[in-house]
Amino acid sequence: MAWRDGLHNFSRLFLFISSLITGIAGVVAIASLNYSLQDELDRNAKELLGADLVVNSSKKISSELIKVIDSTKVALARDADMASMVMFMHTKESRLIKLTALQGDFPFYGELETFPTDAYAKMKSGRFAMLDESLATQYNVSSEDSLKIGNTVFKVAGVVRKIPGGGGLTATLAPAVYISLTELDSTGLVQYGSRVNYSLYLKTTSDKQTAEVIDRIKPLSKKMGFGFETVQARRDGLGQGIKSVNQFFSLLAFVALILGCIGVASSVHIYAREKRDEVAVLRCVGSSGWQAFNIYFIQIFVLGVVGSLMGAGLGAIIHQVIPIAFKEYIPLKLQFAISWRAIAEGVALGGIVSILFSLLPLMAVRFVPPLTVLRADFNATKVFSKSRLAATILIIVFPILAAAYQTKSWISGGLFSVGLALALGCLALVAAGLLWLVRKYFPLGATFVFRHALSNLFRPNNQTRVLLVTIGLGAFIIATLNIIQNSLLGQVEFTGSQNQSNTILFDIQPSQKDGVLQLMKEQNLPANQVVPIITCRLSGLKNKTIEEIQKDTTNIPEWALTREYRITYRDSLSKSGSEKLVKGEVQKFYPGRKDSVYVTISEGMHETLKLQIGDSLTFNIQGVDMRVRVGGIRKVEWPKDPPNFLFVFPSGVLENAPQIWVATTRINDNVAASKFQQALVVNYPNVSLIDLRLVLSTVDELFKKVGLVIRFLALFSIVTGLVVLAGAVINSKFARMKENVLLRTIGARTSHLTKITLIEYGYLGLFSALTGMALSLGGGWLLCKFFFQVSFSVDWIELLTISGGVMLLTMFIGWFNSREVISTPPLQVLRREG
Amino acid sequence: MDIVLECDQLTKTYTSGEKKLTVLDHVSFKAEQGTSLSIIGPSGSGKTTLLGLCAGLDVPTSGTISLMNFKLNNLSEDDRAYIRNQYVGFVFQNFQLLSTLTALENVMVPLELRGEKNVAVKAKELLGRVGLGDRYHHYPTQLSGGEQQRVALARAFITSPKILFADEPTGNLDEANAQQVTDLLFGLNREEKTTLVLVTHNLELAQKTERIIKMKGGLVVNA
Repeated sequence: MAWRDGLHNFSRLFLFISSLITGIAGVVAIASLNYSLQDELDRNAKELLGADLVVNSSKKISSELIKVIDSTKVALARDADMASMVMFMHTKESRLIKLTALQGDFPFYGELETFPTDAYAKMKSGRFAMLDESLATQYNVSSEDSLKIGNTVFKVAGVVRKIPGGGGLTATLAPAVYISLTELDSTGLVQYGSRVNYSLYLKTTSDKQTAEVIDRIKPLSKKMGFGFETVQARRDGLGQGIKSVNQFFSLLAFVALILGCIGVASSVHIYAREKRDEVAVLRCVGSSGWQAFNIYFIQIFVLGVVGSLMGAGLGAIIHQVIPIAFKEYIPLKLQFAISWRAIAEGVALGGIVSILFSLLPLMAVRFVPPLTVLRADFNATKVFSKSRLAATILIIVFPILAAAYQTKSWISGGLFSVGLALALGCLALVAAGLLWLVRKYFPLGATFVFRHALSNLFRPNNQTRVLLVTIGLGAFIIATLNIIQNSLLGQVEFTGSQNQSNTILFDIQPSQKDGVLQLMKEQNLPANQVVPIITCRLSGLKNKTIEEIQKDTTNIPEWALTREYRITYRDSLSKSGSEKLVKGEVQKFYPGRKDSVYVTISEGMHETLKLQIGDSLTFNIQGVDMRVRVGGIRKVEWPKDPPNFLFVFPSGVLENAPQIWVATTRINDNVAASKFQQALVVNYPNVSLIDLRLVLSTVDELFKKVGLVIRFLALFSIVTGLVVLAGAVINSKFARMKENVLLRTIGARTSHLTKITLIEYGYLGLFSALTGMALSLGGGWLLCKFFFQVSFSVDWIELLTISGGVMLLTMFIGWFNSREVISTPPLQVLRREG
Repeated sequence: MDIVLECDQLTKTYTSGEKKLTVLDHVSFKAEQGTSLSIIGPSGSGKTTLLGLCAGLDVPTSGTISLMNFKLNNLSEDDRAYIRNQYVGFVFQNFQLLSTLTALENVMVPLELRGEKNVAVKAKELLGRVGLGDRYHHYPTQLSGGEQQRVALARAFITSPKILFADEPTGNLDEANAQQVTDLLFGLNREEKTTLVLVTHNLELAQKTERIIKMKGGLVVNA
C-alpha cells in the first residue's frame, strides 16, 4: 500500500525530501573538507614549520643562546624579518613589504618552491633577492630587474611560489622579499626602533633530541626574551584554527540542514492533512491507526534515505571542488580523496532527520476518526499520546545532539542550538508581526491584482510563515555578513575624508627628522602630524609589580601586562580632532613636584588595566623605571588620522629617551605618491611608508575573500529556503489551481494570473527579505557593539540589492513552479471539484 | 428575438491510449435572449461537458459554438476569458468562492478584472438584494452553504451578464436554502433579462425554465 500510494505521489514526496539534499550536501562537504585537512595536517606537520623547533625573538639572538644550541649538535638555519620599503628599479615604484633575510638550509622539511629552481641557491650567493610570485606579478618584475632595499640594490634571482609556513592570507597582507641574512646589515635598515623578528630553525635527529634541546633552552627563555615553537605546537595551533573555522562552517551547513528539517516537517504536515480523507476510508475498512501511519511513514523514510544519499553525493562533489576554488586560503595541499566517513555521517543524519521531522505531522494520521468519511468537518477529541510526546522530546533534543556532534563540543552545540532557536524564534516573531501589519493595514485601495496576490499569502493551509523564516534566514546570514563587513571596513575607510592623512612615515631617526620634513615641504606635502614614539613596557600598576599582578586574580589580561607599548609626549590633545578628554585633564610636567608626571590613557585601555584617575603605574623605558599617574582619560577615534596612542606623556620628560619619529601626510594622487616614495627610498632608505589606500584595498580584498567563503555556505541556506519554497508551491498547487481556474472562469486572462502569481511571490520574497533584514540590522548592531567593538555601519544600497535579489529569486521559483497552474484549462478543475 | 447562444453539431471526444470516448455526440440547440432552458439527464450523460463547451471553458472536438455572435472555436483561451467576463455569469453546485477573499471582495472580482474602479457600491447593493447586507466582510468559511451560494449569485449578476450558466445551483443545499436560491436565481434572471442555462438533476427545478433539453449518453434525446 505504501509503495502503491507512494508511486502516485512520488514527485511531490520527493520535493519534500529535496530540501534535505542541500542541507546534507553542505554538512557532508564541510565534514569531508575537515577530515581531509586534519589528515593532511597529521601527514605534513613538519612541513608547516620547516624544522623540528623554531626559536623566535624580537631582539637579536644572543651568542650565549647560539652557543647552547650549538652544543646540542643540531642543524641550524636562521632568518630575520621586518617591514621595509622596496623600490622596483625598472619602474621606480616602491611599496611596503615584509623583508625576510635567510641563512642556512631552511627549510629542513617541505620545499621552498622557486622559479627558476636555482633561485634560492643564487640568492644565498650574494646580493640577490627573491620575491613572492604575487608581488612579482603585480609589479611586473622579471629576472632582469633589480630591487633597492635600504641602501643596497639586489638583482632579482627569481620568485617564491611556496614556502613552508608562508603563503595564503599572510602573503595577501604583507608580500615578502627574501635576501640572504649576510646582506641584511648592508641595507642599513636595522637601526634603533626597527622592529625585527629573529628566528632560529633547528633540525634534530629525533623527538628525544628535540625535547633535550627544549630542556636546555627553556630556562633561558625569560631572561633572554625569546619564545619557541615545536611541530606539535604548530600542528595544534593550526589544527585549532582549522577546528574553529570548521566549527563555524559546520554550523552554517547545519543551519541549512535545520531549514531542510523545517521544510520537511511543514510539507509532511500539509501532505498528512490532505491524506485525511483517504485515511478515514482506510479506517472505515478496518485499518488501525498505526497501519495507516506506517503507509505514509515508509514513503517518507525511503525517500529520506534516497534524498540523503543524493545529498551526500552532492556534498562529495562539492568537496572535490572546494580545494580548487579556495586553494589560496587553505594552507595545505589537499588530496582529492572521498571521505566515506563524512558520507556515512551525512546519510545517517539525513535518515534521522527525515524520520524525526516527519514523525509529528504523520502521527496526526493515527488519530483521524473513521467518521470523517461521513462528515468532513468531524474532529475527534484530542487524546494524550505517549509516542507524540516522545517524538516532541526527540525533536527538541536532536538539534542539540547534532550541533554538539558537528562542533565536537557540548557547550558549542548547546549554545548554538539555543542561538539558532532564538534566531528562528525572532524570525518567526518578525514574520508574524509583518503578516499582522499587512492584515491590519491591508491596502484596500490597491488594484485587484495587488490585493488578491496579497490575500493569497493568507490562503488556508498556507506555509507563508515557514517560508518567511526559511528564506529570511538565508537573507539574514548574507545581510549580517554585509553589515559586519561594512562596519569593519568603516574603521579603515578614512582615505576619502578631506584633509585626513593617508600616508604614514615611520622609523624616522631623530637625525633624519628635519630632512624628511624638508623633503615633504619640497614636494608640497603637508606634515599633518610629526610625533615622537618611545617604546616601553609596564613594570608595575598601582604599587604592585607586574609579576605580583599576574599571580593575583585581578583579571587583567596577560597581553595588556606584557605587551610593548608605543607612547608619545605632548601637552595637548591631538590637533587632528581624533581624541577628546572624557575625564580628568591633560597636565603639564612641573619638575620637582611630587608625582609630577601625569599621563593620559585611552578610554577602553583604562578599563582593561582597571585604572582610574590618580592611579599610579610604572613604565620601564629602555631599562629605566618611571612611575607616573593617570591624569586624564581620552576617547580616541582610532581610525581617524593615525597614529593615535594608548598613553600620552607630558612634554619635558621623555625628550632624552631613545626614540623614533613618525610623520603623517596626505597625498592625493598616485603620481605624487610615487614621486615622494621614490625620493624617500633614495634619501632615507630605512624610513618606511604605509600607504593607507593600499592597506584599505588589501583589507577590502581580504574581506572579499573571506566573505566569498561564507557567502558560499550561506548559499546552502538560501538554496534550501528556495527548495522549501518550491515544495510549498507544489503543496499548494491544487488550491492555487482551483483559484486560478475560478478566476479564469469569470474572465481573468493569462496576464492577470501571471501578474497575480508574480506579485504573490514578490510579496513573499519582499517580506522574507524584510524579515531577514530586520533581524540582521539588530544582530549586526549587537555584533558590532559587543563583539567587534566597532561603529555600526550599513550600506543601504547593498542591503537593498540583497533584498532585491532574494525577492527576484523567490518570484522566479514561485512563477517557475506555477506555470502549470497558470495554464490549466478551467473545466478540468471544475469537474474535479464538482 | 436575438440568439445569444448557438451550438451546432457539437461533439466532444476524449482519447485515452487507443480508446476513444465520445461524451457529446452532434448536439445542436439555440438559446434566445431572455429565455431560460434546462439541461437534464443522468450522471455521465454529458450535461456538464455541454455547459463547459457553451461557456467557452473547453473546446469541442468538432462542431461550432457561437456565444453573443462570437465563434468560440477560433478564439484563444484569453479571448474566451474576455468574452466570459463581458457577457457570462456562473453559478456552481460547490459555490466556487475564492477562500482568501471576503464576500464583498468575491462579488467585486469580475468588475475588477475589467479594470473598473469603485465597484464596492454595486457589489454591496447586490449583496443587499440577496439578503447578505450584513455579511460583507465575512470569509467563505464563515458563511453557511446557502449564504455562499447567494454570494455566488451576486457575483454572477454583478456584470449584468447576457447569459447565466448554472450547474446544479441547489445541489448542495437543504430544502429551505434551495428554495431561497431558486427564487433569487429566477427573480434576478427576470429583472436583468438574462438568458439562463441550467444544468440539473432536479426535474422540479428544471420545470421552472421555459425549455428542457434531455440528454442521455452524449445525445440530446428530447429538445
